[in-house]
Amino acid sequence: MRLRSIKTQLIVSVLLVELASAVLGTTLVVLYERHARFRAFDIMLRGRADSLLGAVQDAEDAQDSVMLDGSEINLPHDDIYEVWDENGRVLGHSPAWKIPGGSNVLATSSKQFDKIRVNGTRYRTIQMDGVRVVDPGDKNGGVRRRVTIVYGSPTRPAWKAVWNAVLFYGATSLILVILTGVVMFWLLRRGLAPLDELAAQASGLSVNSWLFAPSDRIRETTELAPLATALETAMQGLERSFKQQHQFVSDATHELKTAVAVIKSSLQLLSMKPRAPSEYQTGLERCQIDCRRIEEIVVKMLTLARVESNMTGTADHSSVLSTNLGQIVKSVVTQLETFAELNRICIEVLVSDAFTLDIEEDELELLCSNLLMNALQHSKAGDVVRVIGRSVGGWLELVISDQGGGIEKEFLPYIFDRFYRNDFSRSRRTGGTGLGLAICRAITNKANGTIELRSTPGSGTTVVVRLHLDRNSCTPTGITAEQIPSNETKSSSC
Amino acid sequence: MRILLVEDEVRLAENVAAALREIPGYAVDCASDGQIGASLASNRCYDLIILDLMLPLLDGQGVLRKLRADSDLTPVLILTARGEATSIIELLNTGADDYLAKPFDLGELIARSKALIRRGKGVAHPLLRLSDVELDTLQQSVTRAGHLIDLTPMEYHILEYLMHRPKVIVSKRELLEHLYDYNWEHHSNVIEAHVSNLRRKLDWGATEPSIETLRGRGYRLSLREQPRG
Repeated sequence: MRLRSIKTQLIVSVLLVELASAVLGTTLVVLYERHARFRAFDIMLRGRADSLLGAVQDAEDAQDSVMLDGSEINLPHDDIYEVWDENGRVLGHSPAWKIPGGSNVLATSSKQFDKIRVNGTRYRTIQMDGVRVVDPGDKNGGVRRRVTIVYGSPTRPAWKAVWNAVLFYGATSLILVILTGVVMFWLLRRGLAPLDELAAQASGLSVNSWLFAPSDRIRETTELAPLATALETAMQGLERSFKQQHQFVSDATHELKTAVAVIKSSLQLLSMKPRAPSEYQTGLERCQIDCRRIEEIVVKMLTLARVESNMTGTADHSSVLSTNLGQIVKSVVTQLETFAELNRICIEVLVSDAFTLDIEEDELELLCSNLLMNALQHSKAGDVVRVIGRSVGGWLELVISDQGGGIEKEFLPYIFDRFYRNDFSRSRRTGGTGLGLAICRAITNKANGTIELRSTPGSGTTVVVRLHLDRNSCTPTGITAEQIPSNETKSSSC
Repeated sequence: MRILLVEDEVRLAENVAAALREIPGYAVDCASDGQIGASLASNRCYDLIILDLMLPLLDGQGVLRKLRADSDLTPVLILTARGEATSIIELLNTGADDYLAKPFDLGELIARSKALIRRGKGVAHPLLRLSDVELDTLQQSVTRAGHLIDLTPMEYHILEYLMHRPKVIVSKRELLEHLYDYNWEHHSNVIEAHVSNLRRKLDWGATEPSIETLRGRGYRLSLREQPRG
């Protein structure tokens, strides 16, 4: 594809406009000059014809006729004229008159002004009738003699003047066009330099170099500033999400490779030497446990991807879901009761049945079960895990607290990161994949809520989830463990 | 030989430790985080350290840096699940001797471990030869003057350790440290029995005694390297 340059286009179009106006201007000049010159030419012709009339004198003859005395007047030698009387008798003509006498060639037209061509020279002529009175002192007022004068002057000098003017204006315009073209080229180059700079910087962007730092000149250009800002923002966003993706892929690869390494090593260990049937049996059972972990990671990754992919777009659904928190919590507690009993951990639930939330039922269940399972896993025998649901303003506050070992302050900022497990309490020892809390955060983010984790090492961890209560929800306020309204679920399983 | 395995992935650590104990018969200590790993490594009784990169508390690279800063020359084999070239270059430059990417082959891990231990002791070939005694570290077999000698695993390991350090007096404690994991003190009086059995088996029908006992100091191979040619 041929590249089109804005600069060239601008220069060409401006030059074309200039050229057109120069041509138009010159044409107008030609018309005006021609008009003015020929007006003056005509006046001059009339003047000369008048003076020629003055040279018509009485002839001293019996018929009282008139004659032309050309010696008295001073007319340009290349002008032509002919004078004849009313009878058509030629009184005289100019010395340059090369036409045979009496042909009356100049009188062919009845127009006052005419153009003729004699011997290849163009003339403009004036035909004028004049009256000469012979013997005006006589008693009957003399004899009136009508004479006709045709006077012509070559038009070449007039045309020459017109063409000189045209040449002058034309050349001036052309020089101006060229001069402005050069100046404009320089100005445009200067003026469009920020655009070139922006293009150069933008072309430097790639998957490996995200840095887009437009110069101050670009930022201060009205037309480019929005583009530069948009590009900068887009690049930053892309870089961030690209890095996140990269991190996620890298983490996921690490997790899956490790999980595969476990299975592979289990199988290889089993096949390294002949073993007793019971050893094979145990080995295969362990392999199945290892496989279950891969399954778990994959399921959780898919869950996370599903929740996160739904995060944008469908968030604004018209129907309110009205998921009952009390029921969900109850069913989650029932699922985890066996685990709690086995580890002799007490679960205390203090959640009203009246709370309904605008959130998918399975997501709320996943959120509750992840958080409760985390709390149970980090509790020791005899501990109490509390689940409290209360409303604060238009918000529901779901608080799940344990009395476990807690989490060191330095790990808290990363606790919701995917695959984060540098912290002991989240290490594989407890069977965690490092995705549970990431899923919880994705769910609360999707529901426009917040999740927060407070922990004091040694005295336990508290997770606070804040979610919007929907319109149908009754909002009994100020519920604490001490004052329990009648309509709420209070259950303990120890 | 005694190996320190630093790996937080419990099942993987179990499998690797089991394989190393079963096949080459090494003593294996396991550490589940970087700090425990670094503190165990500071005992300097290991012939090889197998180190995972992603570890809680102190990562593999940190452990490695600490080791090398303390001028610990123990060979280190890195296990990594990430394949980035830069991190491997960085690891080797930090002082790692070799690396294996997860998921790895247990057989390869064992072979590499053997090679690293061998190199760490200045031996290039898996076949050790001293006088008329030949020890094949791959087959774990011993011959003297061409006759195959049937040794128990512990007897073999003692001989292998001694063969790696000819002419050096090896104390009973050193043998214990390198051949047993954690609770080697429980085994403190078995070494003498093993050495005595080993000596009896090696010297049967031979003119030259193979192992001399230096009372209160330890054991030394009395075999001499055969002059070449």
